Amino acid sequence: MTTTQADLVPDPAGEPGATTSSGLTVETAEPASEEPGAHWEPDGEAAEADAEAAHWSEHHLLRAAVRWVLVIGSTIVIYSAFLLAKGADPLAVLRSMWDTALGNPDAIGETLIRSTPLLMAALAAAVPARAGLFNLGGEGQLLMGAIGAFLVANRLDAGAPSVPTLVLMGLGGAAMGFLWAALPALLKVVTRTNEAISSLLLNYIAALVVTWLCFEPWKDPTSLGQAYSRELVDGERFPVIWGARVHAGIFVALVAAVVLWWVLRSTTWGFKLRVVGGNSAAARRAGLAVGGLSIAAIGLGGALAGLGGMIEVAGTEGRLRPDLLVGIGFIGFLASWLGRHDPLKACLAALLLGAIAVGGSGLRITAGLSGGAVNILMALVLITVLGWGPRRTRSAA
Amino acid sequence: MPRSLRVAAVVCGLALLAGACSSSSDSSSSDTTGGDDDATTVGFIYVGPKDDFGYNQAAYEGSEAMAETVDGVELLQAENVPETAESEQVMQDMIDQGAEIIFATSYGHLEFAQNVAERNPDVTFVHQGGLEGDNQLDNVGTYFGTVYEPVYLAGIAAGESTETDTLGYIYAFPIPQTLANINAFTLGAQSVNPDAEVITISTGSWCDPAVQAEAVASLLDQDVDVISQHQDCTKTIIEATEAAGAMTVGYHYDASELAPEGWVTGSEWDWGPLYSDIVETIQAGEFAESDYNGDFRVGLQTGDNPFVQSPFGTMVSEETIALIEEAKQRFIDGGSPFEGVVKNQDGEVVYDEGEQPTYDEVEQMDFFVEGVTGTIG
Amino acid sequence: MLESILVGAVAGGTCMVYAGLGEVCTERSGVINLGTEGSMLCGALTAYAIGITTGNPWLGVVAGMLAGSALSSVHALLVLERGANQIASGLVVTFLGLGVTALFGQNYVGQGVVPLETWDIPGLSELPFLGPVLFQHDPLTYLAFAAVPLTSWVLWRTRAGLVLRAAGEAPEVLEIYGTSARKVRWITVLVGGAMSGLGGAQLSTAATLNWSEGMTVGRGFVAVALVIFAGWKPLNLALGAYLFAGAIAFQLQLQARGWEISRYLLEALPYLLVLVVLALLSRRRIHGGPATLERVFDH
Repeated sequence: MTTTQADLVPDPAGEPGATTSSGLTVETAEPASEEPGAHWEPDGEAAEADAEAAHWSEHHLLRAAVRWVLVIGSTIVIYSAFLLAKGADPLAVLRSMWDTALGNPDAIGETLIRSTPLLMAALAAAVPARAGLFNLGGEGQLLMGAIGAFLVANRLDAGAPSVPTLVLMGLGGAAMGFLWAALPALLKVVTRTNEAISSLLLNYIAALVVTWLCFEPWKDPTSLGQAYSRELVDGERFPVIWGARVHAGIFVALVAAVVLWWVLRSTTWGFKLRVVGGNSAAARRAGLAVGGLSIAAIGLGGALAGLGGMIEVAGTEGRLRPDLLVGIGFIGFLASWLGRHDPLKACLAALLLGAIAVGGSGLRITAGLSGGAVNILMALVLITVLGWGPRRTRSAA
Repeated sequence: MPRSLRVAAVVCGLALLAGACSSSSDSSSSDTTGGDDDATTVGFIYVGPKDDFGYNQAAYEGSEAMAETVDGVELLQAENVPETAESEQVMQDMIDQGAEIIFATSYGHLEFAQNVAERNPDVTFVHQGGLEGDNQLDNVGTYFGTVYEPVYLAGIAAGESTETDTLGYIYAFPIPQTLANINAFTLGAQSVNPDAEVITISTGSWCDPAVQAEAVASLLDQDVDVISQHQDCTKTIIEATEAAGAMTVGYHYDASELAPEGWVTGSEWDWGPLYSDIVETIQAGEFAESDYNGDFRVGLQTGDNPFVQSPFGTMVSEETIALIEEAKQRFIDGGSPFEGVVKNQDGEVVYDEGEQPTYDEVEQMDFFVEGVTGTIG
Repeated sequence: MLESILVGAVAGGTCMVYAGLGEVCTERSGVINLGTEGSMLCGALTAYAIGITTGNPWLGVVAGMLAGSALSSVHALLVLERGANQIASGLVVTFLGLGVTALFGQNYVGQGVVPLETWDIPGLSELPFLGPVLFQHDPLTYLAFAAVPLTSWVLWRTRAGLVLRAAGEAPEVLEIYGTSARKVRWITVLVGGAMSGLGGAQLSTAATLNWSEGMTVGRGFVAVALVIFAGWKPLNLALGAYLFAGAIAFQLQLQARGWEISRYLLEALPYLLVLVVLALLSRRRIHGGPATLERVFDH
């Protein structure tokens, strides 16, 4: 009954808020260790996950607001301390980050563009997380989705009507993402290979596949030496809907998030995932096909990532490139945690992390700092939320 | 230990970390634009860090030299800008901060520079190393030097210096610039040493020092005694080569301080004068009519080279330097390192007797010449 | 060719041996730490920077260990005090490490460092085959040779090791004897971070003599993968690390020998190798692992 590892999520016997013999407060890593079938506690993160407005008193809203002010405030203070230690002016840096990420409509557009693949990567992590599984392979699955989109587009007539073309490309991307994710899922079920590790290793291999395609079989013959695939033609691209680059693919991502939210919340399948995530042994006893559900959860995550890869090439990039989507998978994984694996909150989390990522260019240009320094800010947000964030309310005792 | 103490310990630890790292960091350069309306704001984007002893450092120092030479220039710099659509955002940000000229210095930035240029007709874009192709815009040009010419000359020095007749070349990806350099290096070495061979190793990364060190070891294993490379960070390779007592041919930047014993020579970029001329042309409002509005190439034939030969090491004899001067004169007079007969790895003739590839052809090169060990695919 | 590959395996694998040994201890006590990648970077940069500032590479190595440890303390705080998810926390810590080293490392790119020199072991280094493979390295490589059996010895032959493993196997029993599992885990996470920092220090000040942003390129993650691959046993872990580095050396050797194999396939080889072996051994391995971790892996 000891659950010192409850923080490892799929602990079967996690009792919310219990203090174990080893003195470790059992954290109910949400939502995986939720007692199967237990009713959501109105005070806990689960309640927030389901966000039933009726249960939200003013008190709760106020408390949530205060919490977020504290999270953001402390994050900025610590980040400023790092910048000061480096000899940079924190106010100027933060100002320029704000300007580049949110300062004007174009900047907001850039943030939306960057947040879209992040959202899809977040969803790719969120579905397996519901079942207590870790998908660290979002990046590889995104890349495979991008390849899948091209596989389909290359087989269609260039003049084919746009909407069916895009639908088929999306399906192709999702299928490839699914297949790539099915590998770690199968390994998990058949050989019990840890899915977090195997999906992570597959990222490196996927990146090499993309590089190979760009340099060899798919190299654009008219590229004048550049290593990338052909450019998708207009009918294969999402139309630009705002400004210079904001494309309709954003809506596809949003719709995917909403549908996923509904599926996880309201279908039997979504419920079964939660049961497996809560207690796989009990789920097995209850006759659930745990293996199949695990494969399906990781696979669905992969399919969503694959769709995300398709959105990126059909929306933003237009081509397959060796550097495509570098780092997006991991940031998306963190966005999923920031949003407590709730697809709607993941949208906000992806926006926040996307804005920070975009702010990196302001940091580079204005302060002459390395763009990678924004990783500090991302990490600090996650640290405060993981350690002191909303979900702590229940086990505060 | 109470929790508050533990938290305090972690904070102290982090402070230590920050302190340790920042102990000797000078305050970062703030190239912030002021409100000076007369100044021309020029933005530079680089794919890597500006202190890499390589491509990016050469371009960065060119930008600084330009800002010193040309009156009324303010610089905006951005390092580590990836070759994805993210670079469009960085360039747009620079324009929002007042940039009137953008130097996109990495090969893969071209298409994005063209996209941003279409949306900002008042801003002038120059790209380093690409070819414009069908997308000819009035406010975009490309520039580059025929760096394979000095690489060929360095190949002569290497071919004369080697005792094992085996040279090594470490590269990242088989892009045309790299292939042209490797081929020129090989042909240069073979012009004075018909037995010279070049073994190539691809690291699959512009900067992975651990693999670089290993690549050097693999080359030394094959009796290679001169190593050159086309990587963004060059320090590990040069120092590992030096430590093994082998010789170094540099590229991009004068790194002879890293190899006091084994430095043969190298090909460096000296971008300052060219950058200055481009900026002055734009300032004068003459860009659209100038050669820079197109694919501008300079080489030994045209003069005004953006590259220089690095200093020669002690092992390079007067006779060798004379041979190099002779070859250089040939290029000044209109010759090319790739003047036929040039054969590919399979022994097939690519350029016939006396035939010369054009700049465009060189910059789309996709084969290794005879005498190169390596696989492109 | 075998000799060269083995030399490369030892030279390239050492940094992962350190990170992996630290991770073995951490996981044996019941905590998985994906922050090794970040700790390696912190160790690499700090050792490099302090080495340059003081002119003494050994001071740099010590500082690198402290830096790796300092970073991992964030993981300990989040996981052990605040009950955060271990996988997420580890990844966050890696991001923190990436960011901190990007911020502070900028001034050290391309700077010269006083290297940890190669020490040829007198006599032994002359041996054919074994000499170059084992006895012509930097001191931290030799220390890694010693660290492998030492870690085994500590884990299975000392009281500290018993307590450490008990924290991972049966923390409730440990509590009965009045030892806090949480305290033990704090120590192992900090030690694991220091070991990762040491690995990073070896990479920057001995193996490559270079600092560049993100220079570990995933080797910290690979080290975590190798721990599972190794069934949480130090000797297997070292073999795994040398195997991974050996696979890189092997593909570079093939290139240098002009074998006509796709370079992309060759580059994927080390990752494929780890993945395949991991898959083949996992079913067997899983029961050798710490019980508290098993609940994660055997879900």
